[in-house]
Amino acid sequence: MHFRRNSFYYFLIAPSLLLMLWLTVYPVLNVLMLSFFDYNYIADVRLFIGFDNFKQIVSSKLFQDSFFNTLIFSLVATLFEVGLGLLLALVFDGEFFKKKQFMTLMIFPMMLSTMVVSAIFKTLYHQDIGLFNYLLTQLGLQPVGWLINPSCALSSIILVDIWQWTPFAFILLQASLQSIPQEIFEAARIDGTRYPQIVMRITIPILFGQIMLVAMLRTIDTFKLFGKVYALTQGGPGNATETLSTFIYREGFLISILGVLQRLLC
Amino acid sequence: MKSNTKHMARMWVSVVLSMALTGVLFAAGAKESVGLKQITLTIAGRDGAYGDSLQLAADEYQKLHPEVSFEILKLSGANLFEKTVIDLRSKTGTYDLILIDDPNAPQYQEVNWLADLDAMYAKKGLQVDSDFIKPALDLGRYPYNEKGTLFALPFAGNVELFAYRTDLFEKYGFGEPQTWTELLKAVKTIDAKEAGVDGVVFRGAKGNPIVTAFMPIFWAFGGKVLDEDGKVTINSPEGIKALKYFLEMAKYAPLGVTMYQSAQVRDALYGGTAAVVPEVWPGWIGNLENPQESHVVGKVKVTKHPGEVVKSSPMIGAWLVAIPESSKQHEAAFDFMLFLTGYEMQLAMSDAYGLPPSRSSVYKVESQRVKYPWYDAQLDALINSVARPRSIKWKEIEDILGGVLQVAIMGQMSAEQALASAQQSVEDMVR
Repeated sequence: MHFRRNSFYYFLIAPSLLLMLWLTVYPVLNVLMLSFFDYNYIADVRLFIGFDNFKQIVSSKLFQDSFFNTLIFSLVATLFEVGLGLLLALVFDGEFFKKKQFMTLMIFPMMLSTMVVSAIFKTLYHQDIGLFNYLLTQLGLQPVGWLINPSCALSSIILVDIWQWTPFAFILLQASLQSIPQEIFEAARIDGTRYPQIVMRITIPILFGQIMLVAMLRTIDTFKLFGKVYALTQGGPGNATETLSTFIYREGFLISILGVLQRLLC
Repeated sequence: MKSNTKHMARMWVSVVLSMALTGVLFAAGAKESVGLKQITLTIAGRDGAYGDSLQLAADEYQKLHPEVSFEILKLSGANLFEKTVIDLRSKTGTYDLILIDDPNAPQYQEVNWLADLDAMYAKKGLQVDSDFIKPALDLGRYPYNEKGTLFALPFAGNVELFAYRTDLFEKYGFGEPQTWTELLKAVKTIDAKEAGVDGVVFRGAKGNPIVTAFMPIFWAFGGKVLDEDGKVTINSPEGIKALKYFLEMAKYAPLGVTMYQSAQVRDALYGGTAAVVPEVWPGWIGNLENPQESHVVGKVKVTKHPGEVVKSSPMIGAWLVAIPESSKQHEAAFDFMLFLTGYEMQLAMSDAYGLPPSRSSVYKVESQRVKYPWYDAQLDALINSVARPRSIKWKEIEDILGGVLQVAIMGQMSAEQALASAQQSVEDMVR
């Protein structure tokens, strides 16, 4: 009855709905279907192979490394970005000299494109002429192979991401912090609550929802990491900085025009 | 009333005259267009010097044939491959000519996407010019042998070269290395004794770069990726010897060589911090003798690679030009193709943009030999060159080999383990 009453409206939205389904659902289903085939696009030959594609991918060392690296990157970068962002939001909640100017400076890295940030850090990380190794040698320490040593290449990229995206967490959390009614903090202070307790017992619990939201947004973004790896290390040395995105790019775009792409996208 | 009728009559006469005049003009125009049938040739080409060279050839051809116009797509290598595969597979006939990177050629040839050039030559009563450098010409044949049908002509005769510092070799008493073993002695000595100079610098980034650096050594030591029957033969005693040599040589490369791409290698070569660069391409060395760009003017010799148990084996990296079977303008496309790969245009493109010629006569032109002092060596390298395996799976093989080579250089695998792993992975993939 309800459907019949609204049928005219359904009729009106039907064309756009069909178009949307065709542009979104159909490609996904098509890719899913192709993933069960050994598909030679050039020769247009399809051979049904069940789950073999998936088995091959999961057992591939490169995929395993890429997955593990992505997980590490996402976890560590998000943790630091949200943590530091919160810390900065608390610092900037107070009043101090030239606060506005510092704030502008703080959000500057976020405004730069990933390629520009990567180019800056590629120079800073350079083994022979980089600023970081220059400072280390001035302090009498050994230079570090920031991007060329497999054991620290991923950490170096994480550091770049933290530098660029901590301001994002900072801005969102600072805005949320300012929306908390000041009366709550005043009442706590009048009751003699110390600042650390105010932060732990009042501020963080109130901001918890926003902190989770920022963490989720950063997790989604870091999981798609591609640009920095591509510009800084191209997945190397070895597989040290391969991520799921670079893996998909390598397998799907560099090696085969279609090939294994479907099974990666599923 | 009378004047009104007169006015109307005048109007009608004007309209009729205008229509008649328009008709005459259109008829004349139509006659003109029948006389000069306009043709547009669409070319899927490369960017950079390749694209500029194509444009030069198109402009020159248009001067001789005003009825032919061109639409040239200047694409990156990956984009070119993707676009042409999609178009040729769907047989839409968008492109009349396409450029093909030689290792990709079997993929097009195996599925009959390219027009048979032997038939076109025969139809015109012509024969393939013997001036084409044979190893470059043979890349366009399928099957890959002298008798294979010709599907593409060589547009650019690109080949991998070898460069070393003559001043440093002389200083430490070494002549031009004839074998890789001889070379290693020089590399070790110079690396140890010459401050600020690395014994060897090559592209160590995984995938295509490191494979390209390794292949001339692998082949010279007698290694083969696939045998004549297509069986995987990467893990052979010859291959292991070659990789052991490569790993030994890599000890004298700069720290972080596993991340080196062409930019870093060129910097080292031009900056004078490399004694030996076992992989240089003609496109990298255009300014080597330019004092404003190079610190090593007159100090570097570019030549073909040393041999070992087999003769010098530089890798050929030619770009081919072909006519898609689906093109609707085979005849016009073939005529332009002959012009593009002809002596005059090859010379003009070499002169204007440094395009590596695919004809041996161009390498012997005095003005070009002065302009590009390595032309003798380049021709020599081309004649001695080795093609990458003619397999439709080469990209996958290269990726697997490129991965294990880098892991071996990083010390995480021995030569034996690396090649055993590559052999297994390639066999699994080919299966």
